[in-house]
Amino acid sequence: MFSYYIRLALTSIRRTPVLSALMVLALGLGIGAFMTTFTVYYLMSGDPIPHKSDVLYAVQLDNWDPNDDPTESASDVQPQLTYQDGQHLMNADTPAIRQVHMYGSDMVVVPEGDDPPFNENVRATYQTFFSMFDVPFIYGSPWDKRADDDHASVIVIGRKLNDRLFNGENSVGKSIQLNDGFYQITGVIDDWQPTPRFYHVDAGRRFSDSEQIFLPFTRAIDLVLGPNGNTNCWAPLDDSLPVIEAFLKSECVWTQFWAELETPEQAAAYKDYLDNYVRDQKQIGRFQRPLNTFISNVREWLVVNRVVTNDNRVLVRLSFLFLLVCVLNTVGLLMAKFLGKSGEVAVRRAMGASRQAVFIQNLVEVATIGVAGGVAGIGLAWLGLKGIENLYRGYQHLVHLDPVMLATAVCLAVISAILAGLYPVWRVSRQAPAGLLKAL
Amino acid sequence: MKDIGPIFRSLLRNKLGVILIALQIALTLAIVTNAAFIISERSADIARPSGLDESNTAMFITNLFDSNVDQRQLYRDDLEAIRAIPGVLAAAPTQSMPISGSGWGEDLYSNPEMQSNESVNFGKFMVDEHGLEAFDLELVAGRNFTPDEMVTRSFEAMELPKVLIVSQALADSLFPDGDAVNKTVWDEPNGEQPMQIIGIYDHMQNAWPTSENVNRTALTPEISLFGGQMMYVVRAEPGQLDQVMQAAEAYLSKNRSRIVEIVRSYPEQKSRTYSRDIAMVKLLSGVIVILTGVTGLGIIGLAWFSVTQRRKQIGTRRALGATRGDIVRYFMVENWLITSAGLAVGLVGAVGLNWFLDTQYEVGRVPLWYLPVGMAALWLLGQLAVLLPARRAANIPPALATRSV
Repeated sequence: MFSYYIRLALTSIRRTPVLSALMVLALGLGIGAFMTTFTVYYLMSGDPIPHKSDVLYAVQLDNWDPNDDPTESASDVQPQLTYQDGQHLMNADTPAIRQVHMYGSDMVVVPEGDDPPFNENVRATYQTFFSMFDVPFIYGSPWDKRADDDHASVIVIGRKLNDRLFNGENSVGKSIQLNDGFYQITGVIDDWQPTPRFYHVDAGRRFSDSEQIFLPFTRAIDLVLGPNGNTNCWAPLDDSLPVIEAFLKSECVWTQFWAELETPEQAAAYKDYLDNYVRDQKQIGRFQRPLNTFISNVREWLVVNRVVTNDNRVLVRLSFLFLLVCVLNTVGLLMAKFLGKSGEVAVRRAMGASRQAVFIQNLVEVATIGVAGGVAGIGLAWLGLKGIENLYRGYQHLVHLDPVMLATAVCLAVISAILAGLYPVWRVSRQAPAGLLKAL
Repeated sequence: MKDIGPIFRSLLRNKLGVILIALQIALTLAIVTNAAFIISERSADIARPSGLDESNTAMFITNLFDSNVDQRQLYRDDLEAIRAIPGVLAAAPTQSMPISGSGWGEDLYSNPEMQSNESVNFGKFMVDEHGLEAFDLELVAGRNFTPDEMVTRSFEAMELPKVLIVSQALADSLFPDGDAVNKTVWDEPNGEQPMQIIGIYDHMQNAWPTSENVNRTALTPEISLFGGQMMYVVRAEPGQLDQVMQAAEAYLSKNRSRIVEIVRSYPEQKSRTYSRDIAMVKLLSGVIVILTGVTGLGIIGLAWFSVTQRRKQIGTRRALGATRGDIVRYFMVENWLITSAGLAVGLVGAVGLNWFLDTQYEVGRVPLWYLPVGMAALWLLGQLAVLLPARRAANIPPALATRSV
């Protein structure tokens, strides 16, 4: 019976090709536009590290200018730490399972032979980084803790760089030249691209590539490797000290700090630890603002840093309204179409088809249009996402048609079409056949 | 207009159809006015002048990785070589470009007693005496830097500049009464790091397009040697930019102790900085076009169908003496009535949607004149859309009325 209904639906669609095409087009455009903006929104607000997002916490300490506006939430506090605070926490015996203190920089890779040197982004970090953020290794392992303590010239490189320099072969133990020094590779990580790049969410870099070179933080400081992300200062540097020392002892914030805290109790203990640290620092004249420390897990951190922009939200709202227009449009067209079918329905009813049978038969037709609209919508969403990728810089990792989104698109299409068709179908199946037959 | 009565009464017999189109028109008005408003806001932001001779300016960023090279000397050699390239009007070292998203901000104090929350923030560009010309700034008062005023910031020695040239906007913020030239300002509170304003230039934006005080900028005569990154701004004679960029890149690449990271024309940089706004403009323009298209096609589809439904009626009217013009007018008036009803609802919708978007996402308030313009556009759209089916209706022969009755 179902396949017969489908055949009937196709016949009926063929009978009004322009009207049917209009309906499919309208539904497709509405769904395509909405799916495009919603996919971007969904992926932006996605969890970059689902299995650990509730145990990884970003740390904020409010060391800012006492004359500034009062702090109301974590969003008002600098998202980065000073070097001195980060180093203190890193070396202290805190309640955290693991901590990491780090920053982004860049260095020039000088390949052997005639290949030209090139720039690579570098993350100056501790060996805890790799286990905290569950970074997958294809060769070797992170450097050990001694390397951090010894300020060793060791690095972990990414798969892309390993492919470029070593044709993808196991390069553990080999050395490469960065700037004017040599560094021994202890491990090669697989492609690893958390999206958004939550561990360092400077505006403009939130969706950029994760680094291809990881270097001990302690070594990077010895090298005077400057940060390539935001550096914010409110107090002048101490001009009685050499510049580097003055900068490292300053109130300038430029490093990222994360703690791994497994239980709420641990998180509370860690927060207490931070509060006590700031209280101690107040004794020596630092932290002149009211006591404000914040720890935010990954999901909270993305909200604090407004990773999903208002633009994204506006686009989702507007494209939803656009979808609504398209559905209304389809309802109108279906009404027109089904009222035109009154005669045919009357004949079927007169020949014994029940109201229910007529209702279902017409619903099948509506659903067929819905599926066609959905397929068109997915195609248009794919085009739309390609367009978004070209329009926005740094969205390359972000934009793809997710299986969840694909399924949503089809459901959305069928549901919109059925919602759009329900009333027209109901109307036409309620009509008394006698009167209509007379009019034929 | 005597037709309105019967047309209106016949519309009442198909309430749902009318409501559907009217709602569609209402939503369209709400979306189109808000989208158009956002487009115009963003376009206005993008169109703000940076102060530079935009189409003839390029930036170069190189990264020196050999710490044995004398960086200060390399700056001198580079600038000398770049200035010698045919077609170069001016070249200067800088550590930032206007509206590039990456720059240096500082605070100035116009008297030593000021607290840090009373200071005036500004975007700083560290250049030499060629900076004014390379950035195409016009000195409106005072003088340019002299070569002996140049200082060098480095890890070894932190020389601080003694003089600066400020933008008109920064001068006005520091000294609202005017006459900023030759005044002393302080780079830090408590009267530390005094500097003298030696000149005022007309206008240049800072590095951050969304900053509130985007026009407060200053040039200082200094070179900073932190890390190996070196940056130049080069202004070419009109039409010469491409050749100049190629020649300068070829020169910079010759030195194997560094890599040339970025060679970029200023318009390219600007479109990168504004890529989100440009994207918003394009996406919303797309929404407007497609939405009006869908609504227009919907009107055509429905009118077409209603013409088919009413073939006999129309034939009868024609047989009873109605002219083709009467039939066309009937459909036009009908559409005008429906559209008007939709627009009445749409006015509320547009204002409501804007209120929602503004309170939730800070898009700003749509100026009221957008509403009548949007309404006029949708009236026109409706009338144009219905024209085709209406003319088809007018072609229905009167003889049709006599058949199959």
